[in-house]
Amino acid sequence: MTETDETTGPPVTLIDAIDMSKLDPKFREKIKSMPNGEALAACFACSTCTAACPTANMWKFKPHQLIRMILLGMREEVLSSNEIWLCLTCYECQERCPQKVRVTDIFFDCKNLAAEEGNIPANVLALAKELLTKGQLYTVTADWEREDMGLEPEVPGLSVEAIKRILKDTRTKKLVGGEE
Amino acid sequence: MVVKSKLPTYNLYIGCSVPVNYPNYEAAMLKVAQAFDMELIYLEDVACCGSPNLRAFDYMGWMTVNARTLAIADKNGYDIVTPCNGCFASLKDVYHHLKHDDETRTKINKTLKKEGLEFKGTAKPRHFVEALYHDIGIDEIKKKITKPLDGVGIAIHYGCHLLRPADVTEFKPEYLQELVEATGASVVEYPLWKQCCGATVLPVDEDLAIRLARDKLKSMKEAGAVFATVVCPACGNQLDLQQLGLKESYGEIYNLPVLVYPQILGLALGMDDEEVGLGMNRVPANPILDHLSD
Repeated sequence: MTETDETTGPPVTLIDAIDMSKLDPKFREKIKSMPNGEALAACFACSTCTAACPTANMWKFKPHQLIRMILLGMREEVLSSNEIWLCLTCYECQERCPQKVRVTDIFFDCKNLAAEEGNIPANVLALAKELLTKGQLYTVTADWEREDMGLEPEVPGLSVEAIKRILKDTRTKKLVGGEE
Repeated sequence: MVVKSKLPTYNLYIGCSVPVNYPNYEAAMLKVAQAFDMELIYLEDVACCGSPNLRAFDYMGWMTVNARTLAIADKNGYDIVTPCNGCFASLKDVYHHLKHDDETRTKINKTLKKEGLEFKGTAKPRHFVEALYHDIGIDEIKKKITKPLDGVGIAIHYGCHLLRPADVTEFKPEYLQELVEATGASVVEYPLWKQCCGATVLPVDEDLAIRLARDKLKSMKEAGAVFATVVCPACGNQLDLQQLGLKESYGEIYNLPVLVYPQILGLALGMDDEEVGLGMNRVPANPILDHLSD
């Protein structure tokens, strides 16, 4: 686990009372219907995922808690949490789950739902805009380096139009809006 | 008896990070491929894979973009190779998903039809080093080594998306380990070998990303690594370039040269430092030349 200098307070367990009126019983079904969400309910809260996570020690909600929160229907808390965006997508949790819950993939599903509701970190939204308007994440700035290595100056075979065309009909366009 | 009548041929998906940030990786890979008579054809008219970031906020967009690339490769049917773990993960994950989910495949193919394309799943996405391992093989590689390394300790950073999820990536750590050993180097085992380099979290929490890179470098150094190797431009940024950042933010100097695997193999095959672009590595990598036998 990566070490932090500051020790932020507990809770190791969820100590705040859960407001039952805010629970969304359909949330778990929604996640189960999303890519690789099928095994969600198999979680028996052993917290192996949390033990495997290199950064969970800095999270307010640990991976096993997030899975539990999904099962309980705590939609708002999960989808507005920073944790889902801080996931390294390293798959250490998912690989170790004894119940074959695809934890990392489920966090991808959560991020998609959060994005749909407009919950997306500014820098990630900036990447969405980059893809929609430029059609690539990196642009050649030092073509002399490529030429030094005997390569053609531009990225070979790359179509920036194809991705712009596709993403204009998907959520990316909705997220970026009319600012392109 | 089967007679190998033609070169092993592949579609090359170069992505956007390798050609932009690591032309030395691209060139070293091309030269290594040439040394083993692997024919790499750059895929034409293909889009950026979007990285795990696109997957995070627009799953369907990410699927469609990568299914389109797979469908373009299906036209000639040759397997796709890529030098980037991010591209590999995107292509392999989408390939896996479409192979196992008829409903989504039908939906995606409906969209692709507008582009005159169809995902058939004949061209398999693979990491370049996996193609080297399986299609060329360790024995053939060893035969061509003319300047073996002198047993110097190299730490391998595989990168998360090369190894996991294992049922999707189908890549075993042994592949890269044996490839490194084939050059004459020894593989340094270190406790954090599986841990993430932190690249994915860079846009959300830069300090955390830096700390993760630091953990890795520390773990490698403490285990006695003299060099490190990566097979991904994002991991390369975190472990090589980030060493400059660590000097500023933590006042720590690691001085651990990080080479992409084709650079190490290329040198052992007798290529010179310029051919594999050693001068472009951020932490000077020239000390590796002292470990090559004549």
